[in-house]
Amino acid sequence: MSGKPFFVLDNGAYTLKLGKTSEEKPKLIPNAIMKAKSERRRLFVGSDIDECRDASGLYYILPFQKGYLINWDTEKTIWDHAFSKNCCPVSFPDTPLVFTEPLFNFQPLQEGANEIFFEEYDCCHLLRINSVDLSQIKYQSEHPDSKACLVIDCGYSFTHVVPYVLGKRKSDLIRRIEVGGKLLTNHLKDIISYRQLHVMDETYVMNQVKEDACFVAQEFMTSMAEAQRKGPANSILKEYVLPDFTSIRRGYLRDPKSEPEESVQLLRLNNERFSVPELLFHPSDIGLPQMGLAELIMHVINECQEDIQPHLLRNLVLTGGSTMFPGFEQRLMKDLRALAPCEYQIKITMPSDPIGYAWQGGKVLSTNAKALKEKFVSKQQYEEHGHTICAEKFDI
Amino acid sequence: MVAERESGRLKEASQKRVLDEASRKRRARKALEALEQDNFHDDPHADLVMSKKVPKFQETLENKKKRSKRTQEWFKMRFRKNFAQLLEESRSYRPDSPNYQSALAPPSKLPDRHFCAVCGFPSSYTCVQCGARYCSVRCLGTHQDTRCLKWTA
Ligand SMILES: [Zn+2]
Ligand SMILES: [Zn+2]
Repeated sequence: MSGKPFFVLDNGAYTLKLGKTSEEKPKLIPNAIMKAKSERRRLFVGSDIDECRDASGLYYILPFQKGYLINWDTEKTIWDHAFSKNCCPVSFPDTPLVFTEPLFNFQPLQEGANEIFFEEYDCCHLLRINSVDLSQIKYQSEHPDSKACLVIDCGYSFTHVVPYVLGKRKSDLIRRIEVGGKLLTNHLKDIISYRQLHVMDETYVMNQVKEDACFVAQEFMTSMAEAQRKGPANSILKEYVLPDFTSIRRGYLRDPKSEPEESVQLLRLNNERFSVPELLFHPSDIGLPQMGLAELIMHVINECQEDIQPHLLRNLVLTGGSTMFPGFEQRLMKDLRALAPCEYQIKITMPSDPIGYAWQGGKVLSTNAKALKEKFVSKQQYEEHGHTICAEKFDI
Repeated sequence: MVAERESGRLKEASQKRVLDEASRKRRARKALEALEQDNFHDDPHADLVMSKKVPKFQETLENKKKRSKRTQEWFKMRFRKNFAQLLEESRSYRPDSPNYQSALAPPSKLPDRHFCAVCGFPSSYTCVQCGARYCSVRCLGTHQDTRCLKWTA
């Protein structure tokens, strides 16, 4: 058994991160089935979407609702496709599987996963684990001397602040902000549709606009003031050239031009560029009665034992795609610095790949010779003890 | 001239209508719920479903023999609960903290900030009729012409 790779499936609501631990990094696959206006004969399952020539007006069928796996027939179709020859082939009867689930996952969904993986995919060994736990494992491997760590996971469905002390998750102190990539994209669609162009049907394109154009302001009110200026005094105002799927495959940001061209369709982006990601720091800006990220981090840390607080502040790690806005880390640092006791050092780790970070934790796990025996449930154990042994062994 | 007077009168009439607190709250809640939606348009090919007509991706799997064990109908039966039902049910087997409910971030202690419902810049005024925020006479005009009392939520 020694040295045998695992297969890690970090099952995100928006992106699957998957692959054998013998690989350097995971493969990313959209966790969705899509329908295109231009192609009435086919469904685009997962990575199929790369073959779609015209991504305007894509219709999404998503397995997740509010961050939890609800539509299993959709998910199973996507998984079958993901595990197939052309994508990420794997033989589960002789490859241990690490499968991630959201925090506080509901019991029927946990049992559903046991059934599917043991009975349908014939897994020899299964470990179900929270993706934040894998992130902590990765962080611990890179910072072996750290006593505590705070994982900040900004995903598609929501954002979690999760403290760990001596490798143990403090579940009673976990807090969730109900802002994630999906809400941000939908909010951007809302305001653009009201202010200039109807884009409510263009989730795919507007998600790219968000990725290409949005940033986190360092001084929100200063940026607001700048966005109100005209001409060169406003460096925030940009144009976004929308894709037409003939000559332009992906849109791009550019400086405003004085003469409008007839041939391209443009969005004018000004305060939208930073007021959208700002919702992570101020959910109350759209009336969500929840603390923003920095305020919440300090709230969670203050709930922890006093002697552990400086350790947490020194070991903050960012994961998830919504941490990738330019300026995110710096702004978080600035806000935390203003809130934290000044004698405490603050250190934020921004991984080079915050999306694949949890998957990397699975890779670390595969190098631990005792992991398979201690953490996994074997098919034989499942056949003997059913869901009970899974509930005992897996800490979801 | 007549048309102008008519519209003036209409405007006066509508200005007397004021949205009550409950409707304002309902409106705000609906706006937040809409941010959860997956699609805002109808399925362009509703007849296109994951059916036998579609190439079976399972067949590309190496362990073909496992395929027929569970049908789509089985999935629909086995996992028929939506999010709200799962959450409700969890109150009985996971009633105490830590759970999904206890993990929700508490309200912010910072004062609310207000932005113009039209242009998104900081606003100092509130629409008397519906409670939306606006920053200038121009934006108020746009607001009244487009959203204010026009939604019958
Ligand atoms: Zn305005
Ligand atoms: Zn109004």
